[in-house]
Amino acid sequence: MKSFKHFNARTVAEAVQILKAFEGHAVLNAGGTDLLGALKDRFLPTYPEAVINIKTISGIDYVEEDAEGLRIGAMATLASIARSTVIKERYSVLAEAAGAVATPQIRNVATLGGNLCQDVRCWYYRYPHHVGGRILCLRKGSGPCQAVTGDNRYHAIIEGKRCFAVCPSDTAIALAALDAHIRITGPAGARSVPILDFFKTLGNVLKPDEMVTEIQIPRPADGNRQRFIKLTLRKPIDFAVVSVASIMMVENGICRGARIALGAIAPTPIRATKAEQEIVGKPIDAQTAAAAADVAVAAAKPLSMNGYKAVQARALVQRAILA
Amino acid sequence: MSDEYRFIGKATPRGDALDIVTGRTKFVGDIKQYGMLYGKVLRSPHPHANIRSIDTAKAKRLRGVEAVLTHEDVPNWRGGVPAHLRVLDSKVRFVGDAVALIAARTEEIAAEARELIEVDYEVLPAVYDVVEAMKPDAPRLHAAFPGNVVPPGFPWFGPHTLQEVVIGDVEKGFEEADIVVEGACAYENFPNPLPPEPPGVIAAWEGADALTIWTASQGTFTDRTVLYYILGRKVNVRAHGVAVGGSYGSKNTAWLLIVQAAVLSLASGKPVKLCYTKEEQFAAFTLRLGSRIQARIGMKKDGTVTAISGDWLVNTGYYCAGTQGQVAVGCGEIQLVVRCPNWNLKPKVVCTNRAPSGIVRGYGGQELKCAFLPILTMALEKADLDPVEFFKNNYVKPGDGYYWRDGEWWVSNGVDYTKAIEEGAKAFGWKEKWKGWLKPTAVSGTKRIGVGVGVHGNADVGEDTSEAYVRLDPEGTATLYSSISEHGTGQRSSLCKMVAEVLQLPLERVSMTPPDSLANPYEFGTVGSRGTFAVGSAVIEATEDARRKLLELAAQKLDRPIEDLETADGVIYVRPTPEIRLPWKAVMGFDRTCLGHGRFEPNFTMPNFMMVFAEVEVDVETGQVALLRVGSATDVGQIIDPLNLENQLNGSLGSAGIDSAIFEETILDRATGRVMGGNMIDFKWRTFAELPPMQHVVLETPFPSHRFKAIGVGEITPSPGPAAVIMAISNAVGVRFYDYPITPDKILKALGKVQGRKARGGAA
Repeated sequence: MKSFKHFNARTVAEAVQILKAFEGHAVLNAGGTDLLGALKDRFLPTYPEAVINIKTISGIDYVEEDAEGLRIGAMATLASIARSTVIKERYSVLAEAAGAVATPQIRNVATLGGNLCQDVRCWYYRYPHHVGGRILCLRKGSGPCQAVTGDNRYHAIIEGKRCFAVCPSDTAIALAALDAHIRITGPAGARSVPILDFFKTLGNVLKPDEMVTEIQIPRPADGNRQRFIKLTLRKPIDFAVVSVASIMMVENGICRGARIALGAIAPTPIRATKAEQEIVGKPIDAQTAAAAADVAVAAAKPLSMNGYKAVQARALVQRAILA
Repeated sequence: MSDEYRFIGKATPRGDALDIVTGRTKFVGDIKQYGMLYGKVLRSPHPHANIRSIDTAKAKRLRGVEAVLTHEDVPNWRGGVPAHLRVLDSKVRFVGDAVALIAARTEEIAAEARELIEVDYEVLPAVYDVVEAMKPDAPRLHAAFPGNVVPPGFPWFGPHTLQEVVIGDVEKGFEEADIVVEGACAYENFPNPLPPEPPGVIAAWEGADALTIWTASQGTFTDRTVLYYILGRKVNVRAHGVAVGGSYGSKNTAWLLIVQAAVLSLASGKPVKLCYTKEEQFAAFTLRLGSRIQARIGMKKDGTVTAISGDWLVNTGYYCAGTQGQVAVGCGEIQLVVRCPNWNLKPKVVCTNRAPSGIVRGYGGQELKCAFLPILTMALEKADLDPVEFFKNNYVKPGDGYYWRDGEWWVSNGVDYTKAIEEGAKAFGWKEKWKGWLKPTAVSGTKRIGVGVGVHGNADVGEDTSEAYVRLDPEGTATLYSSISEHGTGQRSSLCKMVAEVLQLPLERVSMTPPDSLANPYEFGTVGSRGTFAVGSAVIEATEDARRKLLELAAQKLDRPIEDLETADGVIYVRPTPEIRLPWKAVMGFDRTCLGHGRFEPNFTMPNFMMVFAEVEVDVETGQVALLRVGSATDVGQIIDPLNLENQLNGSLGSAGIDSAIFEETILDRATGRVMGGNMIDFKWRTFAELPPMQHVVLETPFPSHRFKAIGVGEITPSPGPAAVIMAISNAVGVRFYDYPITPDKILKALGKVQGRKARGGAA
């Protein structure tokens, strides 16, 4: 691995200060499970001058609940989220999503903040530099999207215009269904953005000197039912081909509210708002679920090889509603 | 049966187990030589290009760099069969082909120097498909191969190496048939055998014509012999075999890697370690051969096959390491599975602008069988025959003959596997699960269950030669001199068990030399399926020879006929009067050893056997496939070590085995020629967390092999699996598939659920 400066940050303020000092040439190391591979493969044209270890910041791995909802420190590990009693009880979709990531070993070190900020898995984007040179594309500054004419079996079927890489984060999909906010800290202080606004087609809204410090989740209404379903080619250590996270409010068999988020089919997490509107107020049965599922994927515009993802997404929406 | 033995057939600890699990075992990555440099390879970004110029000046100036080599700097050494591939060439033939080699004091410096090399390429059109590659206007990869077709012939297997299966009169055979089917099938997913340890080697020149290597190859003598020819027939190569972190055939010999390190060592005058990264292992090291078959099969209603004809197209990637040998063995193996008097099966080996394909366990036979069986089953469906019954009637029986890899006609002297098939089918519950062709075993909601079966075997348990010495020491210990490498199967421990059994010595008193081509006699290596029979025979003979020499000494000393003498636990005693006994030391003195010699000559009369049963569940809404259960059946003659055997059987999963039916696949982007997802996450391989239940039926019918009547099972455990799984999926969903792997997109397309937009460019 090429050398870089290494810092052990003690506080969020210190980490932010170092980020600022390096003017975009420093990266944060939370769990490191995504970062180290990126550094080794050198698929980005730039290489960080500094790596800031934020595992040394104490007190930002909390899981705290009050009447308003849940607050999770960005450094909480996926393993701790997956086994947290409070999360399993009232925010189970998040516990399921966190538990569906990678392997126990990776979940023990990977963090929620890191899971949200990880880089995409597009195999053109990630092509290792030392086996014939990296592939440049819009996400790296400029260049054509090879996925459009190439092997796009795992790429976006919705909203992929300039870039067809999909959001790889499982927890982001659960958080989208939970209407979470992401708290971001920078040199000027902190701000909070809704989860869907956090992601952009080519990355996220973080400025080079900002970091995610907390995830805030409003307390869902009592009596809801939550579900996270992830399709992969194999069970462990696999990113979603398609995923769905849902929170359904059902009374006497009638849907009183629905929040359905779809993962791995678009550059960002997306909410199936039309499907939600379709099902609300209706009895939940095979027919209404099928109708809502049809609506959920109606906007899909698959590439040459990924039409099957729309079929899978439709099936998952249907299953999430009926669950 | 194992009661007659003290060690054979019993579970005994592997001699190397503790060192492996405590991290004491030394792999190439752990070994350093004095003054050693580290090598790196600059790799091509283009699938096909001429190198106009290379500027290495900046790289050479970097502090710590001791050699930078291009095609202009290296000797004209050529490898492959026939010898055609230079170590570095003025042309590159796949993305990842070697352009330049660097040796530096650290890996980091070598990697940095690599960035400083400037190359000007003249990009050429590339071809990835075997049929496209054979067209007259296709880009030609090697001047010596018109139409990109590699000439037949494989010197290792002799002057008459099997090149095709041509027997009888196929036209007559088709006339006699009630059913004739024709179809094409592609087993072209190029799965990576993916040993945990990427390839690596250390090379050091000890003199102008003396090269020493530390190699993780399966066979030290294979390295030695192959390099002798490549390096101009004058270099004496000493190969130290080190622990192999898995191979699955791919490290049979890594000649190109070794020669890359050797030229760097020659240029720098220092030992050079060259270890590929995981990414290089994915993009530029041995993949399974691509196999496509277009075949016609004639059959009578009762299942008697009357004729088989077809073209077998083998995609060997950018060069041919010796694929003709795999074709030869594949052609031999297909005759073991189908009893047919009329054949006309014509293989062609074709080069394309892909990463190298070469030796992977199953060695040609798995590739051919996986593509052939789905076509054969079209005929079985028309005749409405149960495949298990068909295989039972067709699998080679004692007295049946076949052309083997050497082009000679051999007759089976092995056992009848009918009983193994029947017991395997019974244990799996085949009769209850099998509902007929394209019929699911069960349907529940969106889930459909199906079963399938596949069969494979080879006569390579007796392939190639082995030699061994066994030395007895006065202290009552024995040392086996054999250049057998340990690549995970426990073969070294099993051989020590054989020595211990013959000498009746406690296991801890038997040791073995490290694999080393200088210290040991000739040994073809732990390859194919030859460990138990071929290697075992040489080891047993050497042990018996040493034992006889010891007893001859004792006979003189005791003045008894040698026939009356026995030895156990380092003591010689007289059989009628066991109280008359002498320790070995009293017989040998302190200044003598007894050395025995053994040699095994190839013997292709005992085909081994493997049947795999698979049960899958397919979700017809998502296209997801779950492998629910695997059953297997074999007959090994005599179990040497039950745990090692079980591991071998469990190993039918993973590493370009059964899962090449459903997800193991090296994805090539045809627009750029690059391997996509060449990492341990994006390349799909089964982890231990999702192993399905497996049930193995192992019979022990004595073979006329050697004193333990064993032949083992060897490399063939995964080979019947993919065809079994494709059959199971077809039965589950009611649609046939002819294009591995069967991924969810293909299933949904076959079920008419995806409006199949044709791939633009698209993947392999």
